Amino acid sequence: MTSGSIALVTGANSGFGLACARALAIKGIRVYATYRNPRKAGQLWDLSRTLPVFPLLMDINRNPSVERGVRQLLKREGRIDILLNNAGFVMAGFWEDLSDEDIRDQFETNVFGLLRVTRAVLPSMRKQGSGKILNIGSVAAFAALPGLGPYSATKSAVNSITEALRMEARPWGVEVAEVNPGEIRTSVVQNTRMGEKVLSAKSPYTPFTRQFEKLTKGRFEKAAPVERLVKTVLNALGQTPMKRRYLVKPDDYAVYYLRWLLPDNVWEWGLGQMFPWSRWP
Amino acid sequence: MEGRPVVLITGCSTGIGFETSLLLAREGYRVFATMRNLKKAAPLKDAAKGLPLEILPLDVDKPSSVKAGVAAILRKAGRIDVLVNNAGWGAFGAIEEFSDEEVRAQYETNFFGLLRVTRQVLPVMRAQKSGRIVHIGSLAGRMTFAGIGLYCSSKYAVEALTESLRLELRPFNIETAVIEPGTIRTPFKANRRKARIFHEGKSSYQKVLENILYFGNHPSPSAPGPWKVAAAVLKALRAKRMAIRYPVGRDAVWFPFFRWFMPDFLYDWVLKKRYEGFQRQGA
Repeated sequence: MTSGSIALVTGANSGFGLACARALAIKGIRVYATYRNPRKAGQLWDLSRTLPVFPLLMDINRNPSVERGVRQLLKREGRIDILLNNAGFVMAGFWEDLSDEDIRDQFETNVFGLLRVTRAVLPSMRKQGSGKILNIGSVAAFAALPGLGPYSATKSAVNSITEALRMEARPWGVEVAEVNPGEIRTSVVQNTRMGEKVLSAKSPYTPFTRQFEKLTKGRFEKAAPVERLVKTVLNALGQTPMKRRYLVKPDDYAVYYLRWLLPDNVWEWGLGQMFPWSRWP
Repeated sequence: MEGRPVVLITGCSTGIGFETSLLLAREGYRVFATMRNLKKAAPLKDAAKGLPLEILPLDVDKPSSVKAGVAAILRKAGRIDVLVNNAGWGAFGAIEEFSDEEVRAQYETNFFGLLRVTRQVLPVMRAQKSGRIVHIGSLAGRMTFAGIGLYCSSKYAVEALTESLRLELRPFNIETAVIEPGTIRTPFKANRRKARIFHEGKSSYQKVLENILYFGNHPSPSAPGPWKVAAAVLKALRAKRMAIRYPVGRDAVWFPFFRWFMPDFLYDWVLKKRYEGFQRQGA
């Protein structure tokens, strides 16, 4: 991660992606920051006036758009040193409340989109014989939560993809790692999507969803600022070789090690205590 | 046949689904064994003579087929007590080299298909205020192996689905669990779909993938048959409360155990060495 290297950051128009693009650019890295919706890219364009940040229109849900974006980048710079797979969102709701399309959308962005960008970038990195790919995961990857099932499932999948890719890419000099943040104060909360049926009067899960909302509400306002995560990412990208996994805050470490140490049934019992609805009838 | 718990099993033409449907039928369940292609039903039909087992068409990839299949069972039996989500297959290739279509196809059956059947059955079970859903996951849902990374990721998603669903369904007295077979002697390998680019011999990872495939195609002769998975399903169904996961086979028990003992950096080193071994090996 030296000054003048080229980074590609996906989902950089807000929240963590934006903060990271800024931090990398301050270090002198030329950051290609992707956004999907031109109307929401204002902050990104503001950033590009003062720093080496280059907004790049890319919809990671569409393969041609990804391929075109990466081709543009490579034509201008000839190489990509860092790929930060950040684009993603949270789909909240109980499994049965969400529609097939809701769940598919969640996978389309968080898993298939990540694979698309990786697929487009990796050949050039292999040719260079160097490169770093950092996937933004979540603690939900090893601690699946009710009410956030599809999100947990996508992040578990990313966890596995990181591991396989890490093995497969390493002999080419390309390093792959993952950051698993817990709660961070970013736009991920405002951007959280809910299915149409969630909280409808007909759904048997509505009282539970309300309980879940009450539990999580306020937690994110008190959560660590985005700078914590940026620091971890900079630290990860600065290391050679990168570790398999980077955790961010003490409570994330706690979740990770508790999940490791506790037997399944104890873990689940503890988790069940947190959610008032999860009692046997 | 009155009074027998009603079971729906997907993917019953061969392997684990085949054995599980027979075992459950023998053990007092009324089994609806489903498969995508009824042309492959003959062996099961022969084996199930005299047993309370009916064969129905159901393609988990197709919403209309899932709907029709579940409706048919409700018409015949009026309830569904147990769902065994078994249908699945394995993609083989490097993560980088799966096309969009190949990625989607893998998830369509292993994840979305499983979810589709589950979501179709859940309202029935909620109305009954009881039910058990057993997913056939895999050791690959707990540990990732090179060459089958995409398959592993779909099974990781199934594990997360199971864990979150368990806490969502408790108030309705519905239980879920995941069975995790390791290497099992089934037609899984014959049904494997290779990434096209690897199949055509044009992969950038050609040699190492061929070595991994060669290794994977020659499992130890002591690998258990699919009956062992069927036995684990029965064990789960008979448990007072189902555990989250039921590993099947020595590898499925020991691999996660060793993994559990190792700090991350050590396990990472082990994976690296193993992969380098695959690179060197002459196939």
